[in-house]
Amino acid sequence: MNNRFIVKPELCTGCRSCELACSFTHAIDGVRALTRITPIDGGFKDLWVPVTCLQCDDAACIKSCLVNALKRNPVTGAVELNHEVCVNCMACVAACPFGCAVLDTQANLIVKCDLCGGDPACAHFCPTKALVWEPIEKSVKKTG
Amino acid sequence: MNIKNVKDLNKIKKETLAISKKHPKKVLVCCGTGCIANGATKIVESVRDGLAKRKLKDVSIEILKETGCHGFCELGPLVIIEPQEIFYTKVKPKHVDDILDKSFLENEIIEPLLFTNPVDGSKITKYNDISFFKHQQRIALRNLGKISAHDMKEYIGVDGYQALAKVLFKMTPDEVIEEVIKSGLRGRGGGGFSAGKKWKICKNIQADKHYVICNGDEGDPGAFMDRSIMEGDPHGVLEGMMIAAYAIGAKEGYIYVRDEYPLAVTHLEKAILDCERSGLLGENILGTDFSFTIKIARGAGAFVCGESSALMKSVAGEVGEPRAKYVRSVVKGLYDEPTVLNNVETLVNIPTIIRKGADWYSSIGTKKSTGTKVFSLVGKVRNTGLIEVPMGITLREIIYDIGGGILEDRPFKAVQTGGPSGGCIPESMLDLPVDFDSLTEVGSMMGSGGMIVMDDKTCIVDVAKYFLEFLVEESCGKCTPCREGLYQLHKLLEKICAGKGEMSDIEKMERLSENVMIGSLCGLGKSGPNPLMSTLKHFKDEYIEHIKDKKCRAGVCPELITYEILDNCTGCMACIPACGYDAITGKKKEVHIIAQDKCTKCGACYAVCNFDSILVS
Amino acid sequence: MIHITINGKVVQAKDGEMLLTVIRREKIDVPTLCHHEAVEPSGACRLCMVEITKPEWDGWCDYVTSCLYPAADGLIVNTHAKKVNELRSSILDMYLARHPKSPEIRQLAAEYGVLKTQFEEVVDGDNCILCGICTRICDTMGFHAISMVGRGHGKEVAPPLNMAPTACVGCLSCAKNCPTNYIEYNMENGGLTIWKKDFEMVACTECGKTTITKEFAEYLSKNRDINIDYFRKCDECHRKELAGTMGRISNWDREARS
Ligand SMILES: Cc1cc2nc3c(=O)[nH]c(=O)nc-3n(C[C@H](O)[C@H](O)[C@H](O)COP(=O)(O)O)c2cc1C
Ligand code: SF4
Ligand code: SF4
Ligand code: SF4
Ligand code: SF4
Ligand code: FES
Ligand code: FES
Repeated sequence: MNNRFIVKPELCTGCRSCELACSFTHAIDGVRALTRITPIDGGFKDLWVPVTCLQCDDAACIKSCLVNALKRNPVTGAVELNHEVCVNCMACVAACPFGCAVLDTQANLIVKCDLCGGDPACAHFCPTKALVWEPIEKSVKKTG
Repeated sequence: MNIKNVKDLNKIKKETLAISKKHPKKVLVCCGTGCIANGATKIVESVRDGLAKRKLKDVSIEILKETGCHGFCELGPLVIIEPQEIFYTKVKPKHVDDILDKSFLENEIIEPLLFTNPVDGSKITKYNDISFFKHQQRIALRNLGKISAHDMKEYIGVDGYQALAKVLFKMTPDEVIEEVIKSGLRGRGGGGFSAGKKWKICKNIQADKHYVICNGDEGDPGAFMDRSIMEGDPHGVLEGMMIAAYAIGAKEGYIYVRDEYPLAVTHLEKAILDCERSGLLGENILGTDFSFTIKIARGAGAFVCGESSALMKSVAGEVGEPRAKYVRSVVKGLYDEPTVLNNVETLVNIPTIIRKGADWYSSIGTKKSTGTKVFSLVGKVRNTGLIEVPMGITLREIIYDIGGGILEDRPFKAVQTGGPSGGCIPESMLDLPVDFDSLTEVGSMMGSGGMIVMDDKTCIVDVAKYFLEFLVEESCGKCTPCREGLYQLHKLLEKICAGKGEMSDIEKMERLSENVMIGSLCGLGKSGPNPLMSTLKHFKDEYIEHIKDKKCRAGVCPELITYEILDNCTGCMACIPACGYDAITGKKKEVHIIAQDKCTKCGACYAVCNFDSILVS
Repeated sequence: MIHITINGKVVQAKDGEMLLTVIRREKIDVPTLCHHEAVEPSGACRLCMVEITKPEWDGWCDYVTSCLYPAADGLIVNTHAKKVNELRSSILDMYLARHPKSPEIRQLAAEYGVLKTQFEEVVDGDNCILCGICTRICDTMGFHAISMVGRGHGKEVAPPLNMAPTACVGCLSCAKNCPTNYIEYNMENGGLTIWKKDFEMVACTECGKTTITKEFAEYLSKNRDINIDYFRKCDECHRKELAGTMGRISNWDREARS
C-alpha cells in the first residue's frame, strides 16, 4: 500500500465528473455501470460531499459476506468484490454503515468502489482536485 | 479367552482340535440366511432337544454346529452328518429324531432326505459326490458350512489367525505387500485391480492416518456371496482386514455392511467383540506394536453406495453420493486420508494366501486372473446357488457340470454376468474361459460374480429392459448423463418391447449409450448401458425382429405375442377358470377358443394347460 | 507456473488450479450449468467436459470435467473436440427432453444445435435441472436449509420434510443463483415468502426501503460480529448520513479558514 485516496469536500463543486468516470470505467460489454461514487449535498450552501467507500479497516461488508466474495487487495488496500463468487445475498449492502455497497439493478450485480485496481479514474477526472490519489508519505508530510 | 501371544493362540488351536477329535461324530446344521428362512432355527432346536433327550447333553455343544451357508440354499435347511458326510436336504423338524437315531447314533441313511440328482433322478449320499460341490474349489468359502460361524475357537482350530501371527512375527509390511502382489490376487468387487498394488500405493503415501475398509455393500440383485462370507466366516474377513492394516499401516478399519444383512451384522459384531475381548483387536495385538480396531458401518441401502467414493462419504456420515474423483481414494479416501477399500471376498482370501504362499495361490486359475472366484449361479439351471471355481473354467463347465444343465433340457440362450451393469454372453461363446479379461473382451464383465443363465424362453430385449430399469432406479441422480440418459434408454427399450420401435431407435440407443458411458460421473453410469450394448452386439437379430416383424420369439413381450389354442385341445376346461379376464370359451371335450380382444397375455392358461395345447407366438 | 496447451495454444497456469479456470481466463466458451465460483465444484451437469491427452499417452485421450480437473504441466486440452461436442449436444438433448419448457435450457440447447429433442419428452417435467447450485450455496453460507432428496429421476431439491425450513434465513441466494430460475419467492408489503416460510423485512427507519430479512440481519449481527444498528437504515439513507457528517466537518473547516 503506497497510495491513499483522499476526499476534500470543500473543493467539490458537484460537477459529477467522478460519476461519469466511474461509470465508464466499470462498464460491462460497453454498457455503463452504476457509479460507485456520488457527490451528495452536504447540507450547507455550495457544499458537496463525494460519497464513496472508505475501505474501512474492520470492514462490515467483508464480515457480512458468507461466501468470501469480498477481499482486501493488499496492494491497493481496496476491498474488492468478486462477481463470480458473489451470490447477491445483499448482506453487504445491508451491513455497510455508509451505504457504499450497492445493487446495480440494471446489471443485477452488487458493486462497490475498488479504487479501479490502483488507479482511480474519478481522481483523474476531478477538475478541482477534490479527489486525489497520492503517495502516502506525501499526504502524511502535509497533514502531519 | 485371552490371546496375548502366539503361544495362547496355538494352545486354543490344540484344545479345539483335541475336542474335535474326541467327538468325531457331528451334526452340522446350515444356519445361513437362506436355510434360516426355510426353518433352520427350528431344526437346531430340535437337534439340541433330541441330543438332550438322548442324554448327550454335556457334549452337545461340540456335536451340534450351526454353520454358514453352503451355497445350496434352495434345498435348505441342510443337515450334514460327519464324519460320513451324509448330506440331507429340506429337513423338517419331524425328521430330526430319525436323523439322530439312524444316521447319528447308527450308520443308516435316510433315503428320502438325500439329494436327488436332477439330471437322472438318482440319490446321492455324500456331500462331495454331488456335482454341484464336486467341481468347486473353495478358498474364499473354505470355512463356510464347515465351522460354527460364531465360534472364534473353531476358526482358530482351522488355522485361524495363523496368517496374522505369520505376518506380525515373520514378515515386514513390505514383504506382505510383495507376497500379495506376487499372488496375483485381483479385487473381487468388480474392478479387478491388483490388491497388492493398491496396498502398496496406499502405504507409500505419507499421512497421519491410513484406513482399511471392507466393502460388504453387495447391491447386485440376486447376489449373496459377500453376505454368505460375512455370515459364515466373519473371522476370515477380520483376519484379512488385519493383515491389510498391518501392511499399509492402518490403525482403524471399517466394514461397510448392507443394511438388509442383519445376520451378517450380528455375526460380525460378535466376532469383533470376541477379538476385542481376547486381545486380537485393540492395542498391541499378540504382544507386538501392531494396534488395530474395526467398526461396522451400516449401509444406506442404495446400490450406488457400493461405489468407493459414495461408500466413503456414507461411512463418514454424509449422503452416499459419488464424488467426482480425479484423485483416487487410495490417495485421498475416508476423511481425505489414504484408504484401502477391498471387497469382502478379496479380503477373505488373504489369510490363506499368506499361510500357503503366493506361489501356491498363483498356480490356481489363469496367468492374469489367479485363484478362484465365487459366483452366484441362478436362472434356468438345475442347480442354483453359490459356487467357487478356479479362474479360467469355462462357462460350459459351470453351467452344465456344476449347474447340471438347463432346466427341462431347454436350449441355452445366454448367460448374464457381472451384475446389473454386466453383459449377456451367447451360446457361441460357452467355451469362453471365465476370467477378468476374457469377460470384458466379449462386452460383459466379472463384476462381483452374478451369473444368470437364460433359456430360449427369455427375451433378450426384455432382459436389457429389466437391468436398465434397475439402474434407472438406482442411479443417484447427481449427474445428467446417468440420470436422464439411462432413463431415455429404458424408455426406448420399453417402446421396442411394446412393438412401437423404429429401426432408427437402434442407432439412437447406440449413440446415447456411448455418451452416457463417456459422460457419467461414476461407475454406475459409465457401465450402465452395458446390458443394452452387449445384447445389441450379440443379439441384434432379436432387436430387429421386435422392431420390424413385431415379434418376440421368446414369447415374453405381451404386445408382440398372441395366445392361441391348438386343435389338440382336449376340452378339459382347466383354462377357463384360470383366465381372469373371461377370454376363453368352449364346451367340454371341444376345442376352446381365446377371444383375442379380451386376452391380456398374462399366460395363466399356458401355465395350467396339461396338453401343450396353448401356442404362444 | 506450469504450461498447458488449450486448443493448440500454449498458456500459463498455476499447478493444480482447475482447467475450467484456465479455460475461462483464456476467454474460451465452455458451457456449464452446475458451476458457481462460490461453491466447491460438483461435476453434476457434465457440460464442461473436455478432451485431454499428453504426449506420453500414445494417442490415448480421456474425457474429464474441466471444473474438477486440476491443471498439470504438459497437459493438452481440446475444449471442442468432436466427441466433446457430440457429448454436449447429447446432454443438452437429454435436458431438453426433461425440461422442455425451460427458456434457459432451450436457449442453451439451441446454441448447440439442438432445437428439438430426439427423445421422449417428460410430461410434467419441472424446470429444476438438479444442478445443486442452490443447495451447495446454502450449505456454504452455513445454513443447510435445503438439500437434494431422493435419487435418480425422482431426485428433487427440498427443505427437510418438505416443511418451512427453520434454518432458512431468507437470503434468497438459492433463488437468485438458480440457472433456470426455478425457485419461487414472493416479496411484498415488507414481507418475504420462500420455501413456504414467511419473513419480515428490515425497513429503513428513514425511508422504509427494505434490503434483507430481519432473520438474516440478526444472523449476521450475531455470527459475524456486526453492530445490529448498521442494519437499521438502507444504503441510500446511509450515504446521505455520511454526506451530512462530512459536510458538517468540512463546513467548520471552511468557516475556520475564512
Ligand atoms: C455402482 C457401483 C456399485 C458397486 N458396488 C459394489 C459392491 O456392492 N461391493 C463391492 O465390493 N464393490 C462394489 N463396487 C466396486 C467398488 O467401487 C470398489 O471398486 C471395490 O469395492 C474395491 O474392492 P476390490 O478391489 O477388492 O474389488 C461398486 C462399484 C460401482 C461403480
Ligand atoms: S452480496 Fe455478494 S459480496 Fe455482498 S455479502 Fe452477499 S455474496 Fe458477499
Ligand atoms: S453416474 Fe449415476 S450413480 Fe454415478 S454419480 Fe452419476 S447419477 Fe450418480
Ligand atoms: S434463502 Fe434460505 S434456503 Fe435459500 S440460500 Fe438463503 S438460507 Fe438457504
Ligand atoms: S433449484 Fe435451481 S439451483 Fe437448485 S438444483 Fe434446481 S436448477 Fe439448480
Ligand atoms: S443358507 Fe444354507 S445353504 Fe445357503
Ligand atoms: S460445470 Fe457442471 S460438471 Fe463441470
